[in-house]
Amino acid sequence: MRHFTVRLFAAVVFLSLVTCHPSRAMAAGTAVEAKGAAGTAAISGKVTFSGSAPAREKIKMAADPVCLAQHKEAALSEDLVANNGALQNVFVYVKDGLAGKTFPPPTTPVVIDQQGCQYHPHVFGIQVGQPLEILNSDATLHNINVQPKENKRFNIAQPMKGMKTRKSFDKPEMAVPFKCNVHPWMGAYGHVLDHPFFGVTAEDGSFTLKNLPAGTYTVEAWHEKLGAQTQSVTVADGETKQVSFSFKK
Amino acid sequence: MHPVPFRKVIKMKRLLFGLAVIGLLGAAAPKPTPDPAVGKAAYESNCARCHGPTGAGDGLDAKRMSPMPRKLSEGVFKFRTTGSGTPPTDEDLFRTISTGLAGSRMPDFQRLPEEIRWQLVYYVKSLSTAFNDQKPEPVNLGTDPGPKKATVERGKELYGQLGCAACHGTAGRGDGPSAPTLVDNWGRPIRPADLTHGSAYRGGSSVKDIVARMMTGIDGTPMPSYADALSSPEDAWALATYIRSIQEKPNFQRVIEGVKGPAPLPSGPDDPAWGAAPATTLRLSSNLYREGEIQPTSVAGISVQALYNEKEILFRLAWNDPNESRESPPDAAALALIPDRRLKPKIGSLRSWPATPEAPALDLSLWQAIQAPAYEAVLKDFAQAAGAPEGGAVLESKASYAEGQWILLIKRPLAPAIPGGAALSPSRPTLIGVAVWNGGNGEQGRRRANSNWVDLVLK
Ligand code: HEC
Ligand code: HEC
Ligand SMILES: [Cu+2]
Repeated sequence: MRHFTVRLFAAVVFLSLVTCHPSRAMAAGTAVEAKGAAGTAAISGKVTFSGSAPAREKIKMAADPVCLAQHKEAALSEDLVANNGALQNVFVYVKDGLAGKTFPPPTTPVVIDQQGCQYHPHVFGIQVGQPLEILNSDATLHNINVQPKENKRFNIAQPMKGMKTRKSFDKPEMAVPFKCNVHPWMGAYGHVLDHPFFGVTAEDGSFTLKNLPAGTYTVEAWHEKLGAQTQSVTVADGETKQVSFSFKK
Repeated sequence: MHPVPFRKVIKMKRLLFGLAVIGLLGAAAPKPTPDPAVGKAAYESNCARCHGPTGAGDGLDAKRMSPMPRKLSEGVFKFRTTGSGTPPTDEDLFRTISTGLAGSRMPDFQRLPEEIRWQLVYYVKSLSTAFNDQKPEPVNLGTDPGPKKATVERGKELYGQLGCAACHGTAGRGDGPSAPTLVDNWGRPIRPADLTHGSAYRGGSSVKDIVARMMTGIDGTPMPSYADALSSPEDAWALATYIRSIQEKPNFQRVIEGVKGPAPLPSGPDDPAWGAAPATTLRLSSNLYREGEIQPTSVAGISVQALYNEKEILFRLAWNDPNESRESPPDAAALALIPDRRLKPKIGSLRSWPATPEAPALDLSLWQAIQAPAYEAVLKDFAQAAGAPEGGAVLESKASYAEGQWILLIKRPLAPAIPGGAALSPSRPTLIGVAVWNGGNGEQGRRRANSNWVDLVLK
């Protein structure tokens, strides 16, 4: 049972790869379930963006025809995606309140796919020690240049379509930037945590942190351009608490 | 600094070291045991002026260099035989210190005894925590499978498949589509190496050195490790053999030999007549400082050939320029002739000409990558005008740009077409220099790459 959601997550990623649905990234990292000290509480909610969102920029991919050919219409920048007030790609996680508890990492990898010369997902969470599978679905060279402060750095080439490389992180670290130097517009953020209570907001701004032990937590919502906000939340066993965050420019 | 005890230490160690070597009957010298005091003293007298007293990369001259001296305390090392992101081996550092980094300001320290170089290795390691946090992970570089297996053809194919051209360009001249946007870990723009320029490889230009660069990547820069992408050691060696094969063999000379050409001089750069004209390579350098910072020029060398007949002389210039620019500022090149060689001391080097407003004029033949024609004029400074200035004469020229290289043909009369110009004749040599501007790198006016003065001799 405890692997079920993880598998489901992997299946979602896989299916969405096959169907090439643009919102394939939305479930990334949300459904990884606690092993160890898991509980039955949950925190869910919405992240909103107030004010008028700037238009997403069209990415100029002309430097690489392989990238260009994969988009009928120009791909759009992902650093600020707000749909009717809902803010996507916000990383929501338990920042504090789990001291003393340990959560063994899942053995199922988080997959980051390079497709259409963009990273999918654009923002993701991963546990310390959990495998990260880096996949190239494009028939062109990507280099994955990852320069964390706490963890081991790497910069590796994936010139062939279908190439996979496994990596993992040894220490918790927020906002590890992933970059491709061949395609300077490509960027993603990975958040390395020592527990599984994190999620990334979907197109509708929603997130859920499931299987929490009862307790009082500091929950943080992090956005790459808009910064971070925290709230204190107390949840009891079996309870689902609603929490919302609102960002503005 | 304590020069006296320091020297004493060296002497004693040398003696002991010598004995040890004799004892081992020529076996590889063992690494000495670390002696932090010796390492520190050697660092302070040899390295601190660039790398800074604590290894923060903030020495006196640091800002004038490109690339800048490494911040050794950060623990990021480019030239390793170890996996991406892992620290170098002691031998890697020993090599860097012993051979220096060609194409950068990092000198070689061959003159220091081996023992001291090892102490420097230990000292460099003590400046950063990287060596405690992680162990070097040596990469298996394989062995040369021989020319039958590691073929140039296979290597060329891999060069395309592995996407080296995205950065280094199809012909390896550093002009790939991703080249203009690259930045290093420190946020500074960085150029992919011009692979045809073997002598500027910092980590060494041998096949094995190239294998090491591909397998380990160049940490701190966009150049990734291909350890997972190369499926066999044969492939790695084949690709490196190909890279080695495109390294040009420069012919550095202090003379440009003009050769008698066919009656109508060739009209194109590929005319077989050029086969008879020896190509001289001239090193180019920038030497301009503004507000204490060097403004590096990007063209490092130029190949010059000349054919002449009774009336005219035709030059063929070829140089690598990773970013073609036909707009303002345009790419440009000039031949500078000293009208009377006795003026040379007053003119000084081409790099600093005109050193003063009184400096003598030069006979310049200037071509620019714009619609307006090339021209010859006697000038007191490089005037990059969009047409011949007053008193100048229009010259015939033909230029083409492909795969990161300009080839320019430019023709001028032997007798000066303009008053005060240089007269060329087989009976005496003329002093000539070349200047190149890479407009795509923002170069214009004084910011240019210059050669030394050499003799143009008509045979
Ligand atoms: C004249 C200036 C200068 C001096 C003196 C100098 N260096 Fe350097 N050094 C440099 C520069 C510039 C670089 C950066 C080259 C690059 O980034 O490609 C460098 C890079 C290095 C590196 C990094 C190599 C790598 O793989 O990334 C090491 C190690 C190093 N120097 C050690 C030393 C030591 C030890 C000394 C004294 C014995 C020394 N340097 C003296 C200029 C200098
Ligand atoms: C993402 C861009 C990129 C790609 C792809 C790339 N390189 Fe590089 N390469 C660079 C940069 C940038 C440098 C210069 C590093 C510096 O100046 O410190 C470099 C330097 C080099 C050097 C010179 C090393 C030295 O000793 O100075 C070699 C050789 C080289 N690359 C070979 C290759 C080969 C072969 C491939 C393909 C298998 C390749 N590169 C792919 C960016 C790239
Ligand atoms: Cu890419």
